[in-house]
Amino acid sequence: MSTLAVRSTLRLHRPAALAWALALAAATAYLIRLHALADEARKGISACAVPAQDGLPLCSAVEAITADATYSDGIALVTGCLALLMFPVAAWAGAVVGRELETGTARLAWTQSTPPTRWLANRLTVPATLLTVGTATVVLLNNWARGDDNPNLVGDWYYSEVFIGTGPAAVAHALAGLALGTLAGLLTGRALAGAGVALAACLVLHNAVDLFRADLWPTLTRVGAFEPPRSYFQVDWSADETRLTFHPASHYWPLQYVETGVLLALAAAATAAAFVLLRRRTA
Amino acid sequence: MTDTALEAAALGKRFGRLRRSAGWALRDCSFALPAGRVCAVVGPNGAGKSTLLALAAGLLAPTEGTLSVLGEPVGQARARVGFVAQDKPLYPQLTVAETLRMGGDLNPGRWDARAAERIVAGGDLDPKARVRSLSGGQRTRVALALALGKRPELLLLDEPMADLDPLARHELMGVLMSQAAQHGTTIVMSSHVVAELEDSCDHLLLIGGGRVRLAGEIDALLETHARVSAAADTDLAPHTVVESRTTGRQLTALIRPAAPLPADWRPGTPSLEELVLSYLRNPEAQTTAPGTPAKSPEESAV
Repeated sequence: MSTLAVRSTLRLHRPAALAWALALAAATAYLIRLHALADEARKGISACAVPAQDGLPLCSAVEAITADATYSDGIALVTGCLALLMFPVAAWAGAVVGRELETGTARLAWTQSTPPTRWLANRLTVPATLLTVGTATVVLLNNWARGDDNPNLVGDWYYSEVFIGTGPAAVAHALAGLALGTLAGLLTGRALAGAGVALAACLVLHNAVDLFRADLWPTLTRVGAFEPPRSYFQVDWSADETRLTFHPASHYWPLQYVETGVLLALAAAATAAAFVLLRRRTA
Repeated sequence: MTDTALEAAALGKRFGRLRRSAGWALRDCSFALPAGRVCAVVGPNGAGKSTLLALAAGLLAPTEGTLSVLGEPVGQARARVGFVAQDKPLYPQLTVAETLRMGGDLNPGRWDARAAERIVAGGDLDPKARVRSLSGGQRTRVALALALGKRPELLLLDEPMADLDPLARHELMGVLMSQAAQHGTTIVMSSHVVAELEDSCDHLLLIGGGRVRLAGEIDALLETHARVSAAADTDLAPHTVVESRTTGRQLTALIRPAAPLPADWRPGTPSLEELVLSYLRNPEAQTTAPGTPAKSPEESAV
Protein backbone atom coordinates (compact mmCIF):
# COMPACT_ATOMS: atom_id res chain seq x y z
CA MET A 1 0.00 0.00 0.00
CA SER A 2 1.38 3.29 -0.99
CA THR A 3 2.02 6.12 1.42
CA LEU A 4 -0.19 8.31 -0.77
CA ALA A 5 -3.18 6.05 -0.14
CA VAL A 6 -2.44 5.97 3.60
CA ARG A 7 -2.20 9.73 3.62
CA SER A 8 -5.52 10.16 1.85
CA THR A 9 -7.24 7.71 4.21
CA LEU A 10 -5.86 9.49 7.28
CA ARG A 11 -6.88 12.86 5.84
CA LEU A 12 -10.50 11.67 5.65
CA HIS A 13 -10.57 10.22 9.15
CA ARG A 14 -8.52 12.79 10.99
CA PRO A 15 -11.02 13.15 13.87
CA ALA A 16 -11.12 9.39 14.46
CA ALA A 17 -7.33 9.09 14.32
CA LEU A 18 -7.02 12.02 16.72
CA ALA A 19 -9.56 10.51 19.12
CA TRP A 20 -7.68 7.21 19.07
CA ALA A 21 -4.36 8.97 19.77
CA LEU A 22 -5.93 10.91 22.65
CA ALA A 23 -7.46 7.75 24.11
CA LEU A 24 -4.10 5.99 23.95
CA ALA A 25 -2.32 8.92 25.59
CA ALA A 26 -4.93 9.08 28.36
CA ALA A 27 -4.75 5.32 28.97
CA THR A 28 -0.95 5.44 29.10
CA ALA A 29 -0.88 8.30 31.58
CA TYR A 30 -3.56 6.67 33.72
CA LEU A 31 -1.79 3.29 33.78
CA ILE A 32 1.50 4.90 34.79
CA ARG A 33 -0.31 6.56 37.70
CA LEU A 34 -1.95 3.26 38.65
CA HIS A 35 1.39 1.48 38.55
CA ALA A 36 2.79 4.08 40.95
CA LEU A 37 -0.16 3.42 43.24
CA ALA A 38 0.21 -0.38 43.22
CA ASP A 39 2.47 -0.78 46.29
CA GLU A 40 0.25 1.45 48.40
CA ALA A 41 -2.82 -0.45 47.16
CA ARG A 42 -1.32 -3.80 48.19
CA LYS A 43 -0.80 -2.40 51.71
CA GLY A 44 -4.49 -1.50 51.76
CA ILE A 45 -5.56 -5.14 51.51
CA SER A 46 -2.89 -6.76 53.66
CA ALA A 47 -3.74 -8.92 56.63
CA CYS A 48 -4.14 -6.98 59.88
CA ALA A 49 -4.57 -7.53 63.57
CA VAL A 50 -6.11 -5.78 66.57
CA PRO A 51 -3.97 -4.98 68.44
CA ALA A 52 -1.00 -5.01 66.05
CA GLN A 53 1.06 -8.21 66.49
CA ASP A 54 3.41 -10.57 64.64
CA GLY A 55 4.48 -7.74 62.35
CA LEU A 56 0.89 -7.29 61.10
CA PRO A 57 -0.33 -3.71 60.90
CA LEU A 58 -3.24 -2.40 62.91
CA CYS A 59 -6.60 -2.94 61.12
CA SER A 60 -7.70 0.67 61.50
CA ALA A 61 -4.45 1.73 59.81
CA VAL A 62 -5.09 -0.66 56.91
CA GLU A 63 -8.67 0.51 56.56
CA ALA A 64 -7.51 4.10 56.45
CA ILE A 65 -5.67 3.34 53.19
CA THR A 66 -7.93 4.20 50.22
CA ALA A 67 -5.39 3.54 47.49
CA ASP A 68 -6.61 -0.04 47.01
CA ALA A 69 -10.07 1.11 45.96
CA THR A 70 -8.69 3.77 43.62
CA TYR A 71 -6.30 1.22 42.13
CA SER A 72 -8.91 -1.53 41.73
CA ASP A 73 -11.42 0.79 40.13
CA GLY A 74 -8.81 2.23 37.79
CA ILE A 75 -7.55 -1.16 36.66
CA ALA A 76 -11.11 -2.40 36.19
CA LEU A 77 -11.93 0.66 34.10
CA VAL A 78 -8.98 0.27 31.72
CA THR A 79 -9.43 -3.50 31.47
CA GLY A 80 -13.15 -3.09 30.80
CA CYS A 81 -12.50 -0.52 28.06
CA LEU A 82 -10.05 -2.91 26.40
CA ALA A 83 -12.54 -5.76 26.59
CA LEU A 84 -15.38 -3.72 25.09
CA LEU A 85 -13.28 -1.93 22.44
CA MET A 86 -14.83 -4.02 19.66
CA PHE A 87 -18.17 -2.23 20.05
CA PRO A 88 -17.11 1.35 19.31
CA VAL A 89 -14.73 0.11 16.61
CA ALA A 90 -17.49 -1.86 14.87
CA ALA A 91 -19.98 0.99 15.11
CA TRP A 92 -17.42 3.41 13.70
CA ALA A 93 -16.46 1.12 10.81
CA GLY A 94 -20.10 0.37 9.99
CA ALA A 95 -21.00 4.06 10.03
CA VAL A 96 -17.99 5.19 8.02
CA VAL A 97 -18.33 2.59 5.25
CA GLY A 98 -22.14 2.89 5.24
CA ARG A 99 -21.89 6.66 4.95
CA GLU A 100 -19.47 6.44 2.03
CA LEU A 101 -21.99 4.32 0.14
CA GLU A 102 -24.96 6.40 1.28
CA THR A 103 -23.56 9.77 0.23
CA GLY A 104 -21.86 8.43 -2.90
CA THR A 105 -18.32 9.34 -1.88
CA ALA A 106 -17.44 5.68 -2.36
CA ARG A 107 -18.30 6.15 -6.05
CA LEU A 108 -16.00 9.14 -6.08
CA ALA A 109 -13.19 7.02 -4.64
CA TRP A 110 -13.87 4.14 -7.04
CA THR A 111 -13.55 6.36 -10.10
CA GLN A 112 -10.04 7.50 -9.26
CA SER A 113 -7.15 5.49 -10.67
CA THR A 114 -7.35 2.59 -8.21
CA PRO A 115 -10.00 -0.14 -8.20
CA PRO A 116 -12.72 -0.40 -5.50
CA THR A 117 -10.93 -3.33 -3.85
CA ARG A 118 -7.93 -1.08 -3.23
CA TRP A 119 -10.24 1.47 -1.61
CA LEU A 120 -11.54 -1.23 0.72
CA ALA A 121 -8.02 -2.45 1.44
CA ASN A 122 -6.99 1.08 2.45
CA ARG A 123 -10.10 1.56 4.56
CA LEU A 124 -9.20 -1.67 6.42
CA THR A 125 -5.41 -1.67 6.73
CA VAL A 126 -4.94 1.83 8.08
CA PRO A 127 -7.33 1.44 11.05
CA ALA A 128 -6.28 -2.20 11.55
CA THR A 129 -2.65 -1.14 11.93
CA LEU A 130 -3.47 1.69 14.33
CA LEU A 131 -5.78 -0.58 16.34
CA THR A 132 -3.25 -3.38 16.59
CA VAL A 133 -0.37 -1.17 17.68
CA GLY A 134 -2.46 0.91 20.08
CA THR A 135 -4.34 -1.95 21.69
CA ALA A 136 -1.24 -4.09 22.09
CA THR A 137 0.56 -1.18 23.76
CA VAL A 138 -2.26 -0.57 26.23
CA VAL A 139 -2.53 -4.31 27.01
CA LEU A 140 1.19 -4.43 27.82
CA LEU A 141 0.94 -1.30 29.97
CA ASN A 142 -2.14 -2.71 31.65
CA ASN A 143 -0.33 -5.92 32.56
CA TRP A 144 2.59 -3.87 33.85
CA ALA A 145 0.27 -1.78 36.02
CA ARG A 146 -1.55 -4.88 37.30
CA GLY A 147 1.71 -6.01 38.86
CA ASP A 148 1.46 -9.47 40.43
CA ASP A 149 -2.17 -9.93 39.30
CA ASN A 150 -3.48 -10.19 42.86
CA PRO A 151 -7.09 -11.36 42.30
CA ASN A 152 -8.24 -9.40 45.34
CA LEU A 153 -7.17 -6.18 43.67
CA VAL A 154 -7.54 -6.72 39.93
CA GLY A 155 -10.01 -9.59 39.64
CA ASP A 156 -9.53 -13.24 38.69
CA TRP A 157 -7.96 -14.05 35.34
CA TYR A 158 -11.06 -15.85 34.09
CA TYR A 159 -13.43 -12.90 34.46
CA SER A 160 -14.58 -12.05 30.96
CA GLU A 161 -13.21 -8.50 30.96
CA VAL A 162 -9.96 -9.45 32.68
CA PHE A 163 -9.40 -12.35 30.30
CA ILE A 164 -9.90 -10.22 27.16
CA GLY A 165 -8.16 -7.12 28.49
CA THR A 166 -4.90 -8.77 29.51
CA GLY A 167 -3.84 -10.74 26.44
CA PRO A 168 -3.65 -10.88 22.65
CA ALA A 169 -7.40 -11.59 22.59
CA ALA A 170 -7.93 -7.83 23.12
CA VAL A 171 -6.35 -7.10 19.72
CA ALA A 172 -8.30 -9.92 18.06
CA HIS A 173 -11.60 -8.63 19.49
CA ALA A 174 -10.91 -5.12 18.18
CA LEU A 175 -9.95 -6.42 14.72
CA ALA A 176 -13.05 -8.62 14.56
CA GLY A 177 -15.10 -5.52 15.38
CA LEU A 178 -13.43 -3.61 12.53
CA ALA A 179 -14.03 -6.40 10.01
CA LEU A 180 -17.64 -6.99 11.05
CA GLY A 181 -18.35 -3.24 11.01
CA THR A 182 -16.89 -2.85 7.52
CA LEU A 183 -18.94 -5.78 6.22
CA ALA A 184 -22.09 -4.41 7.88
CA GLY A 185 -21.48 -1.01 6.27
CA LEU A 186 -21.04 -2.58 2.83
CA LEU A 187 -24.12 -4.77 3.22
CA THR A 188 -26.46 -2.03 4.44
CA GLY A 189 -25.07 0.89 2.47
CA ARG A 190 -26.38 3.21 5.18
CA ALA A 191 -24.47 4.91 7.99
CA LEU A 192 -26.98 4.37 10.77
CA ALA A 193 -28.03 0.90 9.66
CA GLY A 194 -24.38 -0.07 9.22
CA ALA A 195 -23.52 0.98 12.76
CA GLY A 196 -26.62 -0.76 14.14
CA VAL A 197 -26.02 -4.05 12.37
CA ALA A 198 -22.35 -3.94 13.36
CA LEU A 199 -23.25 -3.42 17.02
CA ALA A 200 -25.79 -6.23 16.93
CA ALA A 201 -23.27 -8.61 15.35
CA CYS A 202 -20.69 -7.70 18.00
CA LEU A 203 -23.19 -8.20 20.80
CA VAL A 204 -23.88 -11.71 19.55
CA LEU A 205 -20.18 -12.46 19.05
CA HIS A 206 -19.10 -11.06 22.41
CA ASN A 207 -21.68 -13.10 24.29
CA ALA A 208 -21.06 -16.24 22.27
CA VAL A 209 -17.34 -16.06 23.04
CA ASP A 210 -18.16 -15.53 26.72
CA LEU A 211 -20.47 -18.51 26.71
CA PHE A 212 -18.11 -20.92 25.01
CA ARG A 213 -14.78 -19.68 26.38
CA ALA A 214 -14.51 -22.58 28.85
CA ASP A 215 -14.84 -25.07 25.99
CA LEU A 216 -11.93 -23.65 24.01
CA TRP A 217 -9.42 -25.87 25.80
CA PRO A 218 -9.77 -29.30 27.53
CA THR A 219 -10.68 -28.92 31.21
CA LEU A 220 -9.22 -30.78 34.20
CA THR A 221 -11.44 -32.94 36.37
CA ARG A 222 -10.76 -33.96 39.96
CA VAL A 223 -12.88 -36.40 41.96
CA GLY A 224 -12.81 -36.73 45.71
CA ALA A 225 -11.06 -34.73 48.36
CA PHE A 226 -9.00 -32.14 46.59
CA GLU A 227 -7.67 -28.72 47.39
CA PRO A 228 -8.09 -26.69 44.16
CA PRO A 229 -5.30 -24.27 43.21
CA ARG A 230 -5.74 -20.57 43.75
CA SER A 231 -7.82 -18.63 41.22
CA TYR A 232 -9.17 -21.65 39.36
CA PHE A 233 -11.88 -21.29 36.67
CA GLN A 234 -14.73 -23.55 37.80
CA VAL A 235 -16.59 -25.05 34.87
CA ASP A 236 -18.71 -27.69 36.60
CA TRP A 237 -19.14 -29.06 40.11
CA SER A 238 -21.31 -31.83 41.45
CA ALA A 239 -21.74 -32.21 45.18
CA ASP A 240 -22.73 -35.95 45.18
CA GLU A 241 -19.42 -37.27 44.03
CA THR A 242 -17.42 -34.15 44.81
CA ARG A 243 -16.32 -33.88 41.24
CA LEU A 244 -14.77 -30.58 40.09
CA THR A 245 -14.23 -29.65 36.46
CA PHE A 246 -12.07 -26.55 36.06
CA HIS A 247 -9.36 -24.64 34.24
CA PRO A 248 -6.26 -23.96 36.35
CA ALA A 249 -4.53 -20.60 35.94
CA SER A 250 -1.96 -22.33 33.71
CA HIS A 251 -4.69 -22.67 31.05
CA TYR A 252 -4.69 -18.90 30.61
CA TRP A 253 -2.31 -18.91 27.63
CA PRO A 254 -3.78 -21.86 25.68
CA LEU A 255 -7.23 -20.32 26.12
CA GLN A 256 -5.89 -16.93 24.98
CA TYR A 257 -4.33 -18.44 21.85
CA VAL A 258 -7.44 -20.35 20.85
CA GLU A 259 -9.75 -17.38 21.43
CA THR A 260 -7.40 -15.07 19.52
CA GLY A 261 -7.25 -17.58 16.67
CA VAL A 262 -11.01 -17.98 16.49
CA LEU A 263 -11.61 -14.22 16.41
CA LEU A 264 -8.88 -13.57 13.85
CA ALA A 265 -10.33 -16.31 11.64
CA LEU A 266 -13.73 -14.66 11.94
CA ALA A 267 -12.24 -11.26 11.09
CA ALA A 268 -10.54 -12.80 8.05
CA ALA A 269 -13.80 -14.41 6.92
CA ALA A 270 -15.71 -11.12 7.27
CA THR A 271 -12.97 -9.29 5.35
CA ALA A 272 -13.00 -11.88 2.58
CA ALA A 273 -16.79 -11.62 2.36
CA ALA A 274 -16.52 -7.83 2.06
CA PHE A 275 -14.04 -8.14 -0.82
CA VAL A 276 -16.15 -10.73 -2.63
CA LEU A 277 -19.23 -8.54 -2.24
CA LEU A 278 -17.46 -5.47 -3.59
CA ARG A 279 -15.90 -7.35 -6.49
CA ARG A 280 -19.26 -8.78 -7.52
CA ARG A 281 -20.98 -5.42 -7.39
CA THR A 282 -18.45 -3.39 -9.36
CA ALA A 283 -16.58 -3.92 -12.59
CA MET B 1 -4.79 4.53 -28.28
CA THR B 2 -7.90 3.07 -29.76
CA ASP B 3 -10.57 4.46 -32.08
CA THR B 4 -13.50 3.39 -29.97
CA ALA B 5 -14.16 5.14 -26.69
CA LEU B 6 -17.14 3.03 -25.65
CA GLU B 7 -18.42 -0.18 -27.12
CA ALA B 8 -21.39 -2.09 -25.76
CA ALA B 9 -22.58 -5.48 -26.91
CA ALA B 10 -25.97 -6.77 -25.70
CA LEU B 11 -25.35 -4.86 -22.49
CA GLY B 12 -27.91 -5.32 -19.75
CA LYS B 13 -28.22 -4.39 -16.08
CA ARG B 14 -30.87 -5.62 -13.71
CA PHE B 15 -31.35 -4.28 -10.20
CA GLY B 16 -32.73 -6.54 -7.51
CA ARG B 17 -32.45 -10.26 -8.01
CA LEU B 18 -35.86 -11.10 -6.56
CA ARG B 19 -37.92 -9.38 -9.21
CA ARG B 20 -37.79 -11.61 -12.25
CA SER B 21 -38.70 -9.24 -15.07
CA ALA B 22 -39.27 -5.80 -13.61
CA GLY B 23 -35.79 -4.79 -12.56
CA TRP B 24 -34.07 -4.24 -15.90
CA ALA B 25 -32.64 -0.71 -16.07
CA LEU B 26 -30.88 -1.43 -19.36
CA ARG B 27 -31.34 -4.28 -21.80
CA ASP B 28 -29.90 -5.30 -25.15
CA CYS B 29 -27.80 -2.18 -25.57
CA SER B 30 -25.36 -2.34 -28.43
CA PHE B 31 -23.56 0.71 -29.74
CA ALA B 32 -20.09 2.00 -30.49
CA LEU B 33 -18.93 5.49 -29.69
CA PRO B 34 -15.87 6.62 -31.68
CA ALA B 35 -13.11 8.33 -29.70
CA GLY B 36 -12.73 12.10 -29.75
CA ARG B 37 -16.45 12.82 -29.88
CA VAL B 38 -18.61 14.85 -27.55
CA CYS B 39 -21.57 12.57 -27.09
CA ALA B 40 -24.93 13.45 -25.63
CA VAL B 41 -26.83 10.71 -23.83
CA VAL B 42 -30.44 11.81 -23.81
CA GLY B 43 -33.62 10.23 -22.67
CA PRO B 44 -36.48 10.74 -20.24
CA ASN B 45 -36.05 10.36 -16.49
CA GLY B 46 -35.50 6.76 -15.53
CA ALA B 47 -34.48 5.74 -19.03
CA GLY B 48 -31.21 4.18 -17.90
CA LYS B 49 -28.81 7.03 -18.63
CA SER B 50 -27.24 7.02 -15.18
CA THR B 51 -27.01 3.23 -15.19
CA LEU B 52 -25.19 3.29 -18.52
CA LEU B 53 -22.70 5.89 -17.27
CA ALA B 54 -22.15 4.01 -13.99
CA LEU B 55 -21.48 0.83 -15.96
CA ALA B 56 -18.97 2.68 -18.13
CA ALA B 57 -17.27 4.11 -15.04
CA GLY B 58 -16.92 0.63 -13.55
CA LEU B 59 -19.19 1.41 -10.60
CA LEU B 60 -21.58 -1.40 -11.50
CA ALA B 61 -21.00 -4.79 -13.00
CA PRO B 62 -23.23 -5.60 -15.99
CA THR B 63 -25.79 -8.37 -15.54
CA GLU B 64 -25.31 -9.49 -19.13
CA GLY B 65 -23.37 -8.50 -22.21
CA THR B 66 -20.09 -6.65 -22.34
CA LEU B 67 -18.89 -3.09 -22.26
CA SER B 68 -15.40 -2.04 -23.20
CA VAL B 69 -13.89 1.35 -22.56
CA LEU B 70 -11.03 2.72 -24.65
CA GLY B 71 -10.47 -0.79 -25.99
CA GLU B 72 -10.12 -2.37 -22.55
CA PRO B 73 -12.51 -4.12 -20.18
CA VAL B 74 -14.11 -1.47 -17.95
CA GLY B 75 -12.22 -2.34 -14.76
CA GLN B 76 -8.81 -1.99 -16.40
CA ALA B 77 -9.38 1.41 -17.96
CA ARG B 78 -10.19 3.07 -14.61
CA ALA B 79 -7.15 5.35 -14.61
CA ARG B 80 -8.03 6.74 -18.05
CA VAL B 81 -11.67 7.49 -17.31
CA GLY B 82 -13.06 10.47 -15.40
CA PHE B 83 -16.54 10.39 -13.91
CA VAL B 84 -18.79 12.96 -12.29
CA ALA B 85 -21.93 11.51 -10.74
CA GLN B 86 -25.25 13.29 -10.86
CA ASP B 87 -25.25 14.25 -7.16
CA LYS B 88 -21.56 15.35 -7.28
CA PRO B 89 -20.46 13.41 -4.19
CA LEU B 90 -17.47 14.91 -2.39
CA TYR B 91 -16.09 14.39 1.10
CA PRO B 92 -17.81 17.17 3.09
CA GLN B 93 -15.15 17.27 5.82
CA LEU B 94 -12.31 18.16 3.43
CA THR B 95 -11.44 21.62 2.20
CA VAL B 96 -11.34 22.38 -1.51
CA ALA B 97 -7.53 22.27 -1.47
CA GLU B 98 -7.53 18.96 0.42
CA THR B 99 -10.00 17.50 -2.07
CA LEU B 100 -7.61 18.34 -4.89
CA ARG B 101 -4.66 16.92 -2.93
CA MET B 102 -6.67 13.73 -2.52
CA GLY B 103 -7.07 13.67 -6.30
CA GLY B 104 -3.29 13.85 -6.59
CA ASP B 105 -2.79 11.06 -4.05
CA LEU B 106 -5.28 8.72 -5.68
CA ASN B 107 -4.14 9.33 -9.27
CA PRO B 108 -0.36 9.09 -8.99
CA GLY B 109 1.42 9.73 -12.27
CA ARG B 110 -1.63 11.21 -13.98
CA TRP B 111 -2.60 14.19 -11.85
CA ASP B 112 -2.44 17.65 -13.37
CA ALA B 113 -2.62 19.86 -10.28
CA ARG B 114 -2.38 23.08 -12.26
CA ALA B 115 -5.35 22.27 -14.49
CA ALA B 116 -7.48 21.29 -11.49
CA GLU B 117 -6.56 24.43 -9.56
CA ARG B 118 -7.32 26.58 -12.59
CA ILE B 119 -10.87 25.23 -12.82
CA VAL B 120 -11.44 25.82 -9.11
CA ALA B 121 -9.94 29.31 -9.29
CA GLY B 122 -12.33 30.18 -12.12
CA GLY B 123 -15.20 29.94 -9.68
CA ASP B 124 -13.79 32.38 -7.13
CA LEU B 125 -13.60 29.55 -4.59
CA ASP B 126 -11.61 29.82 -1.39
CA PRO B 127 -9.29 26.77 -1.36
CA LYS B 128 -9.60 26.69 2.43
CA ALA B 129 -13.40 26.46 2.36
CA ARG B 130 -14.86 23.16 3.55
CA VAL B 131 -16.74 21.28 0.87
CA ARG B 132 -19.81 21.08 3.14
CA SER B 133 -20.09 24.88 3.01
CA LEU B 134 -20.18 25.07 -0.80
CA SER B 135 -23.24 25.73 -2.93
CA GLY B 136 -24.43 23.20 -5.50
CA GLY B 137 -22.76 25.02 -8.34
CA GLN B 138 -19.48 25.30 -6.47
CA ARG B 139 -19.55 21.58 -5.72
CA THR B 140 -20.06 20.88 -9.41
CA ARG B 141 -16.99 22.94 -10.15
CA VAL B 142 -14.85 21.06 -7.60
CA ALA B 143 -16.16 17.71 -8.85
CA LEU B 144 -15.31 18.67 -12.44
CA ALA B 145 -11.85 19.84 -11.36
CA LEU B 146 -11.29 16.49 -9.68
CA ALA B 147 -12.40 14.60 -12.79
CA LEU B 148 -10.40 16.73 -15.23
CA GLY B 149 -7.31 16.78 -13.00
CA LYS B 150 -6.65 13.13 -13.75
CA ARG B 151 -6.43 14.00 -17.44
CA PRO B 152 -8.97 11.42 -18.56
CA GLU B 153 -9.15 10.15 -22.11
CA LEU B 154 -12.84 9.56 -21.59
CA LEU B 155 -14.91 11.86 -19.39
CA LEU B 156 -18.32 10.63 -18.24
CA LEU B 157 -20.65 13.33 -16.91
CA ASP B 158 -24.08 12.53 -15.50
CA GLU B 159 -26.31 15.61 -15.73
CA PRO B 160 -23.26 17.82 -15.19
CA MET B 161 -24.87 21.22 -15.53
CA ALA B 162 -28.15 20.61 -13.73
CA ASP B 163 -27.50 22.89 -10.76
CA LEU B 164 -25.49 25.65 -12.40
CA ASP B 165 -26.67 29.14 -13.23
CA PRO B 166 -26.56 30.03 -16.95
CA LEU B 167 -23.33 31.97 -16.59
CA ALA B 168 -21.43 29.20 -14.81
CA ARG B 169 -22.98 26.66 -17.18
CA HIS B 170 -21.67 28.55 -20.17
CA GLU B 171 -18.23 28.98 -18.65
CA LEU B 172 -17.83 25.35 -17.53
CA MET B 173 -19.12 24.08 -20.86
CA GLY B 174 -16.38 26.21 -22.41
CA VAL B 175 -13.80 24.58 -20.12
CA LEU B 176 -15.05 21.14 -21.15
CA MET B 177 -15.05 21.94 -24.84
CA SER B 178 -11.53 23.37 -24.74
CA GLN B 179 -10.44 20.24 -22.86
CA ALA B 180 -11.97 18.12 -25.60
CA ALA B 181 -10.36 20.19 -28.32
CA GLN B 182 -6.93 20.41 -26.69
CA HIS B 183 -6.46 16.83 -25.52
CA GLY B 184 -8.86 14.97 -27.78
CA THR B 185 -10.82 13.88 -24.71
CA THR B 186 -13.98 11.97 -25.47
CA ILE B 187 -16.84 13.43 -23.45
CA VAL B 188 -20.06 11.58 -22.77
CA MET B 189 -22.67 13.62 -20.96
CA SER B 190 -26.22 12.82 -20.11
CA SER B 191 -29.03 15.32 -19.94
CA HIS B 192 -32.73 15.56 -20.40
CA VAL B 193 -32.44 19.13 -21.60
CA VAL B 194 -31.73 18.63 -25.27
CA ALA B 195 -31.28 22.31 -26.12
CA GLU B 196 -28.36 22.42 -23.69
CA LEU B 197 -26.46 19.85 -25.74
CA GLU B 198 -27.25 20.93 -29.27
CA ASP B 199 -24.37 23.40 -29.63
CA SER B 200 -21.67 21.37 -27.96
CA CYS B 201 -22.29 17.75 -28.91
CA ASP B 202 -21.61 16.02 -32.18
CA HIS B 203 -22.83 12.55 -31.32
CA LEU B 204 -26.13 11.36 -29.95
CA LEU B 205 -27.17 8.35 -27.93
CA LEU B 206 -30.90 8.32 -27.35
CA ILE B 207 -32.04 5.98 -24.61
CA GLY B 208 -35.59 5.14 -23.76
CA GLY B 209 -37.07 2.33 -21.73
CA GLY B 210 -33.66 0.83 -21.08
CA ARG B 211 -32.80 0.47 -24.77
CA VAL B 212 -30.80 2.45 -27.30
CA ARG B 213 -33.36 4.12 -29.56
CA LEU B 214 -31.04 6.09 -31.77
CA ALA B 215 -27.28 6.43 -32.04
CA GLY B 216 -25.01 8.28 -34.39
CA GLU B 217 -23.46 11.56 -35.48
CA ILE B 218 -25.98 14.33 -34.92
CA ASP B 219 -25.46 15.86 -38.37
CA ALA B 220 -25.96 12.53 -40.07
CA LEU B 221 -29.05 11.78 -38.00
CA LEU B 222 -30.59 15.14 -38.88
CA GLU B 223 -29.77 14.64 -42.57
CA THR B 224 -31.39 11.23 -42.71
CA HIS B 225 -34.63 12.51 -41.20
CA ALA B 226 -37.08 14.95 -42.66
CA ARG B 227 -40.03 16.89 -41.37
CA VAL B 228 -42.80 16.93 -43.93
CA SER B 229 -46.28 18.33 -44.22
CA ALA B 230 -48.74 17.04 -46.75
CA ALA B 231 -52.44 16.46 -47.28
CA ALA B 232 -54.07 14.30 -44.64
CA ASP B 233 -54.73 11.36 -46.94
CA THR B 234 -51.12 11.07 -48.19
CA ASP B 235 -49.58 7.61 -47.98
CA LEU B 236 -46.14 8.00 -46.43
CA ALA B 237 -44.85 4.59 -47.60
CA PRO B 238 -42.16 3.50 -48.35
CA HIS B 239 -40.60 5.96 -45.94
CA THR B 240 -40.11 5.00 -42.29
CA VAL B 241 -42.48 7.05 -40.18
CA VAL B 242 -41.22 8.08 -36.78
CA GLU B 243 -44.15 10.27 -35.88
CA SER B 244 -47.12 11.59 -37.77
CA ARG B 245 -49.91 13.88 -36.69
CA THR B 246 -53.03 14.93 -38.54
CA THR B 247 -54.67 18.25 -37.84
CA GLY B 248 -57.69 18.88 -40.04
CA ARG B 249 -56.67 18.25 -43.62
CA GLN B 250 -53.00 18.70 -42.83
CA LEU B 251 -50.58 15.90 -41.96
CA THR B 252 -47.21 16.66 -40.40
CA ALA B 253 -44.74 13.87 -39.92
CA LEU B 254 -41.16 13.12 -39.06
CA ILE B 255 -39.90 10.45 -41.40
CA ARG B 256 -36.77 8.72 -42.46
CA PRO B 257 -36.96 8.99 -46.24
CA ALA B 258 -36.22 5.86 -48.21
CA ALA B 259 -36.33 7.72 -51.53
CA PRO B 260 -36.28 11.34 -52.73
CA LEU B 261 -39.32 13.16 -51.39
CA PRO B 262 -41.92 14.88 -53.58
CA ALA B 263 -41.51 18.65 -53.43
CA ASP B 264 -45.14 19.28 -52.44
CA TRP B 265 -44.50 17.56 -49.09
CA ARG B 266 -42.40 20.61 -48.21
CA PRO B 267 -39.57 18.59 -46.63
CA GLY B 268 -37.41 20.33 -44.05
CA THR B 269 -34.56 19.37 -41.73
CA PRO B 270 -35.80 18.82 -38.18
CA SER B 271 -34.06 20.34 -35.19
CA LEU B 272 -32.33 18.02 -32.78
CA GLU B 273 -35.00 18.67 -30.18
CA GLU B 274 -37.78 17.79 -32.65
CA LEU B 275 -35.99 14.61 -33.59
CA VAL B 276 -35.45 13.53 -30.00
CA LEU B 277 -38.98 14.38 -28.92
CA SER B 278 -40.47 12.52 -31.88
CA TYR B 279 -38.62 9.36 -30.94
CA LEU B 280 -39.43 9.72 -27.25
CA ARG B 281 -43.12 10.27 -27.93
CA ASN B 282 -43.26 7.17 -30.10
CA PRO B 283 -41.63 4.25 -28.35
CA GLU B 284 -42.89 1.98 -31.11
CA ALA B 285 -40.95 3.75 -33.86
CA GLN B 286 -38.40 1.59 -35.58
CA THR B 287 -35.10 2.19 -33.88
CA THR B 288 -32.40 0.99 -36.25
CA ALA B 289 -31.12 4.26 -37.53
CA PRO B 290 -29.30 4.27 -40.86
CA GLY B 291 -27.29 7.18 -39.45
CA THR B 292 -25.46 4.85 -37.09
CA PRO B 293 -21.98 4.50 -38.50
CA ALA B 294 -21.37 0.92 -39.47
CA LYS B 295 -18.49 -0.56 -37.55
CA SER B 296 -15.36 -0.39 -39.65
CA PRO B 297 -13.01 -3.40 -39.69
CA GLU B 298 -10.35 -1.50 -37.66
CA GLU B 299 -12.85 -0.80 -34.92
CA SER B 300 -14.07 -4.31 -34.57
CA ALA B 301 -10.49 -5.57 -34.48
CA VAL B 302 -9.87 -3.87 -31.13
